[in-house]
Amino acid sequence: MGGLAEPFQFEFFVRGMVAATLVGVLCASVGVYVVLRSLAYIGHGLAHSIFGGAVVSFVSGISFYIGATLWGVFTVLLINGAARRRQIGGDAAVGIITTCAFALGVALISRHGRFTRDFDAALFGEILGITSGDLYVIAGVMALAAVVIFTWWKPLLFTTFDSDVASTYGVPVAWVEALFSLVLAATVIASLQVLGATLIAAALVIPPVTARLLTDSFTRMFALAAAVGGVSGLVGVYISWFVDVSSGATVVLLQGALFVVALGWTVVRSRWPGTGGGERLAAIEGATLD
Amino acid sequence: MVELAPSAPGHRPPPADPADQALVELRRYTTGYERTAVLHDIDFTLRRGEFAGIVGPSGSGKTTLLRAIAGQTRRFAGTVETHPRAGERALRLGYVPQVDAINWNFPLTVGQAVLLGRWREMGWRPWPRRHDRELLGHILERLGIGHLANRQIRALSGGQQQRTFLARALIGDPDLLLLDEPTSGVDIKTRHEIMHLLGELNRAGTTILMTTHDLNAVATHLPRLVCVGEGALVADGAPEDVLTPEVLQRTYGAEMLVLRRGDAIYVVEHLDEGMSEAESIPDEVGAGASPLGG
Ligand SMILES: Nc1ncnc2c1ncn2[C@@H]1O[C@H](COP(=O)(O)OP(=O)(O)OP(=O)(O)O)[C@@H](O)[C@H]1O
Ligand SMILES: [Mg+2]
Repeated sequence: MGGLAEPFQFEFFVRGMVAATLVGVLCASVGVYVVLRSLAYIGHGLAHSIFGGAVVSFVSGISFYIGATLWGVFTVLLINGAARRRQIGGDAAVGIITTCAFALGVALISRHGRFTRDFDAALFGEILGITSGDLYVIAGVMALAAVVIFTWWKPLLFTTFDSDVASTYGVPVAWVEALFSLVLAATVIASLQVLGATLIAAALVIPPVTARLLTDSFTRMFALAAAVGGVSGLVGVYISWFVDVSSGATVVLLQGALFVVALGWTVVRSRWPGTGGGERLAAIEGATLD
Repeated sequence: MVELAPSAPGHRPPPADPADQALVELRRYTTGYERTAVLHDIDFTLRRGEFAGIVGPSGSGKTTLLRAIAGQTRRFAGTVETHPRAGERALRLGYVPQVDAINWNFPLTVGQAVLLGRWREMGWRPWPRRHDRELLGHILERLGIGHLANRQIRALSGGQQQRTFLARALIGDPDLLLLDEPTSGVDIKTRHEIMHLLGELNRAGTTILMTTHDLNAVATHLPRLVCVGEGALVADGAPEDVLTPEVLQRTYGAEMLVLRRGDAIYVVEHLDEGMSEAESIPDEVGAGASPLGG
């Protein structure tokens, strides 16, 4: 068996493929809420900040997952605290705190030049270096996300749509938001090895936005986003084997291509009246440029 | 009588003690956003079965009063007391936001939006059960938007959008319905239909509090009016007692003329210089049917 089945004889390849598929589904599902709340910059910032945490835990000899979790929780608390001061504002607070955390990581790396290669993975992802331990962490985070999202489906959707009104209808908004922050942080940590700090935001944002172009129903958007994320993870890793390009980058480029196809299809459809394509285009502009 | 929630366990038992009839009581209540107080020292009681309107100029705090009762603003001082139905911890509230406070780009169909109002009863499952779908169909049908259940919320007319969010409020079987400018941005016929619907709901036992900018077509027909001016309650009572030039002057800071003809009241909002009372009285004032009359 050579040719198209060739990579499947390597266990590390199969592991990487499974990891990329799971991470694709995970990021896309969590990303639906990130996109609909216009929090894309928080996902991006969190990924960079946790990279700083990864370096700090490596330098001080702590396990990556423990160090990054503590660091992630610390960053989220810091962002919340800073964002509450009205003069700063949420996006600026995220910008300051997460770039400083990232810079700290970079500074530590440049002082200890010999670590540099180990951090390529944290920056750009190293799908084929995934261990089975990493795989368990990804599966664990996925189970956590699934439990939170499916058992809290309605309160989470209501809070995402309109948190003030949700609280009037009795939704425990503070709890929902805290749980969601936890899931988001855990998602970023679990995805760091696979996609790298630089590409996580793309995996959070592109599949949901692509799905949004294709449907006006929340349930369908969720299912489509998860499908786009999973399929591009699976196929992306497979393609990257043959074209010899970084797997994380291939996955994200594939998602980008799917987005362009969906966009093209929507533009074509919007020429026919009554299909809703034009409205969805307008909705995407409103949702992502706000 | 209309029956909007067939699942509801019958109508509320009449309260034993008349003092219990109060649904919400604000006492010397001060509220606002961040560190800025917007409403000061509010004393306001809403009783079961009432239908009250809040009027006042833009920025006076109408929405804030509604949101304070809905528990969406910070309390700075004072107390708020609510009287939930027997066996429940909190009032069941139905809140219909101002049209421009809604994110119309959100990927929600009418059905999905309405079912949010039933999130508590729907349990852990993401998808609705047969009973939830039947209830949804019933309420949409009742509001005349049964055929729109799968439309995205943006792809609706203003009146249909109002009905969608009214349906979301009603599906939760509320003790109190709070509506923020339910008649703004719709045509005369839709406005009439919405007010007619609210009147029916009120007669069926729902307590309603709504804001409005429309003094003549809406406010004068409500049983009770609350005037808010610059963060304080200026007046509170029946329209014929409240709508006087002095109260309107204090509420809006502008001179207005109030015309009465039998039971009908007409407020002339833009008083021109030199316009005398005699020549400004239109013959047909108040001849139209009250939107609340069945
Ligand atoms: N989210 C907010 N944060 C800070 N200030 C606010 C907020 N919402 C309203 N305000 C301020 O509170 C005051 C009252 O606003 P409110 O929305 O209650 O007015 P309104 O009477 O409903 O006006 P309109 O008729 O235009 O809807 C205004 O001065 C407004 O600037
Ligand atoms: Mg308002």
